[in-house]
Amino acid sequence: MDFTLSNEQRAWQMTARKFADEEIRPISLERDEISDPRETFDWEIIKKGSRLGFRTMAVPKEWGGQGTDFVTQALVMSELAKADSAISKTFSQCWKWSHLIAATCTDEQKRRFLKPFLEDDTYLLGKGISEPSAGSDNRLPPADDAKAGLKLRAERHGDEWILNGEKCFIANASVGKLFFIDARTDPNAPLKQGTTMFLVPRETPGFRIGKVFNKSGWRFYQNGEMIFENARVPHANVVGPVNGSDMKTHQAGDRTGGDLFGDLELAANALGVCDDACGMALTLARTKKNGGRALFEQQVVQLKLNKMHLLTEALRSFVMRIAWEHDHKVYSANAGLCMNFSTDVIQEVTELNLDIHASAGVLSARADKLVRDAIIWSHLAGDSVQRMKATRRLPK
Amino acid sequence: MYNLHLSPEQLQVRDTVRDFVAREIKPLACAPQRLEARTRPLLMDLLDKASQMGLRTLALSEDAGGADADHLTCCIVTEELAVGDPDIAAVLAQTSTLAHDLFERLMTPDQRARFLPPFLADDRYHLAVAEQEPDRDSTLGGDYHRPHASETGFKTTASRVGDMWVINGRKDSVANAPVAKLFAVQTSTGSRGVSTLLVPRDTPGLSVIENEPSPHWHHGARGELIFNDCRVPADNLLGAEGKSPLAGDTGRRIPLHEALNLGIGRAAFEAALDYAQLRVQGGRRIIEHQAIGAKLAEIAIRLEVARTAIWQAAWASDHPEAFADRSLADLPLTTIAKVFSSEAIYHATKDAAECFGAMGVMRDMPMQKYVHDALVCLHSETGNSDAKLRIAEALTSYQRPADAAALAAE
Repeated sequence: MDFTLSNEQRAWQMTARKFADEEIRPISLERDEISDPRETFDWEIIKKGSRLGFRTMAVPKEWGGQGTDFVTQALVMSELAKADSAISKTFSQCWKWSHLIAATCTDEQKRRFLKPFLEDDTYLLGKGISEPSAGSDNRLPPADDAKAGLKLRAERHGDEWILNGEKCFIANASVGKLFFIDARTDPNAPLKQGTTMFLVPRETPGFRIGKVFNKSGWRFYQNGEMIFENARVPHANVVGPVNGSDMKTHQAGDRTGGDLFGDLELAANALGVCDDACGMALTLARTKKNGGRALFEQQVVQLKLNKMHLLTEALRSFVMRIAWEHDHKVYSANAGLCMNFSTDVIQEVTELNLDIHASAGVLSARADKLVRDAIIWSHLAGDSVQRMKATRRLPK
Repeated sequence: MYNLHLSPEQLQVRDTVRDFVAREIKPLACAPQRLEARTRPLLMDLLDKASQMGLRTLALSEDAGGADADHLTCCIVTEELAVGDPDIAAVLAQTSTLAHDLFERLMTPDQRARFLPPFLADDRYHLAVAEQEPDRDSTLGGDYHRPHASETGFKTTASRVGDMWVINGRKDSVANAPVAKLFAVQTSTGSRGVSTLLVPRDTPGLSVIENEPSPHWHHGARGELIFNDCRVPADNLLGAEGKSPLAGDTGRRIPLHEALNLGIGRAAFEAALDYAQLRVQGGRRIIEHQAIGAKLAEIAIRLEVARTAIWQAAWASDHPEAFADRSLADLPLTTIAKVFSSEAIYHATKDAAECFGAMGVMRDMPMQKYVHDALVCLHSETGNSDAKLRIAEALTSYQRPADAAALAAE
């Protein structure tokens, strides 16, 4: 076993750390505190990060990107998340769909979409799956209900597809320029056999963004509504086979049945938040006095710090192992399990950080923010459905 | 005998308050603009209505114009109010229990004659105790099981000038400060210990600064008091000079904060239970899935066991003789209920929010508010970390040398 990072991995990590400390951390709390969810976003930080490669680093070198490996991606996500989890996620959301483009799009589609993505510092990507009546049903389609799952309808008219329906909670919706949209192309078939994926540019006629959701955590991260009213998408924008949306992961070489990147992404992001929480708690314990002595001298404080650090280090080992496994094309249920585990860890670690602050009578807006950010993991990474999904990937 | 069979009166008051909460409080408390933790001004009109229903004077004797409710009834009412709005519940709980303590136990007949009539006549007359001060460390922490290393006395002073007390200093985190018309203020009176003075809000020399509604570790409304040569008559001394009659926390006070916490948990549970019977995923209502069913069961278990601990502590505070005759364990039952119920209920609200998926974190929906409100209860009053140390000290009846000296001096 060799945990040594290559010079290139180390360089990415250091660049990310510097950018996170100098550019992200100073704006993290102020963006979090803005009450209008559309106004929390900041294009300047995106442009700065983009110029350092943090928007496009997952695009393969042969297509003009940096072609970083999964270990590098995990390191960078953690470093950025240590300063702000939601800003890190805004960048890595682009990597998620860069992977998808690289794995599933035709060369003609790559030419049309990767080129502008690489050239434009404000070109963000997203993917629309969730709908008001279809959340868990998309993640774990029920065997006994073929109608369950997303309803957005796409019908073919000559060289075009006409899309009608709604999506909700879609990441980067209000700021993205290109979206992958899952739509029902055979309403009589079960989800996996009746869904097609489309590339939908923002300026598509009949397609617009509705409200931006006002979340208690991850406030920088934009989740919005998408409305399709006879939206017209050319047939050339169909990704993979018609009625074959589910092929995406298979084509990507992912035999887990899950996202090649998404599970690692949430776990690596959580790790960064935990590092921040551990740092905050340790600094407070060493500097704040109670009864004339540093908090650190109290046994109950030491035990809390111990729990925070052991969980964080266990998560780090798990995250780096998953990244390594991805780089070596070793796929298993582990990525899903790691994502589930990251939910338990990020919530306990941020709650302990808040506890150490509050117990010492310190009101910390940042400790409060980390807890709110961590609660986002409940529905994304650690709800019953995500746990059962990982369980079902265990070897038969 | 330990008996939790509610009387017809208790059931009636519970139903009345529950109905008031459903009809009047819920629609306003769950309006989108009220759901953000940062901007939650008190709903004054509802507070007035609750007062007109008698909830401000609930614990006063019937002779004094109240409903003579016992502690358990006060807890039941607080829980019901908190299902709708924890801030309203906190303000009323504070005023009604202080009314009982001040007017019926601690004031002289003359003080009662001066302060009770205006209190009864004004629905917006609330009460407060001013104790905490800026930079005064009230946590136990490093002083666990050893003499206090840090200064714990009050910096707010009162000196006697003629037949007046002159108060100088600053109090913060005063519960009910924004709405209180009478403050019981803890002051240092020289070497003669802590004296409590009654200070009406309109006394010259007293300024009240209302804290911005913010995600601080409390429910209700708080503020700061600044005393600048503030003069009150010598007659406003509550109890004896140097011997404040306001008891420190013995761990057996009325578990009102805990009842409030239970109300928050119930609001989350009721919402999740309703939603689980409406939301269809996986071809059936989500309550029919084992994963959600088991989760709702765990929430119900946590809330019911918390209720058992809280009601036992409430009953015990109504029946202190049950400690003396060894019916109850010689333990700080309220502190025990506080730690257990706040942890159980925080867990329960997170589970309840998870049943809603992404809607569980939306600021225009109530679930994230319940999670936040339950989180506050982990750290409000005596935070759980400190509370456990206090329980541990009580297990061996530990008395600080300083405390022992004070007792010996009496």
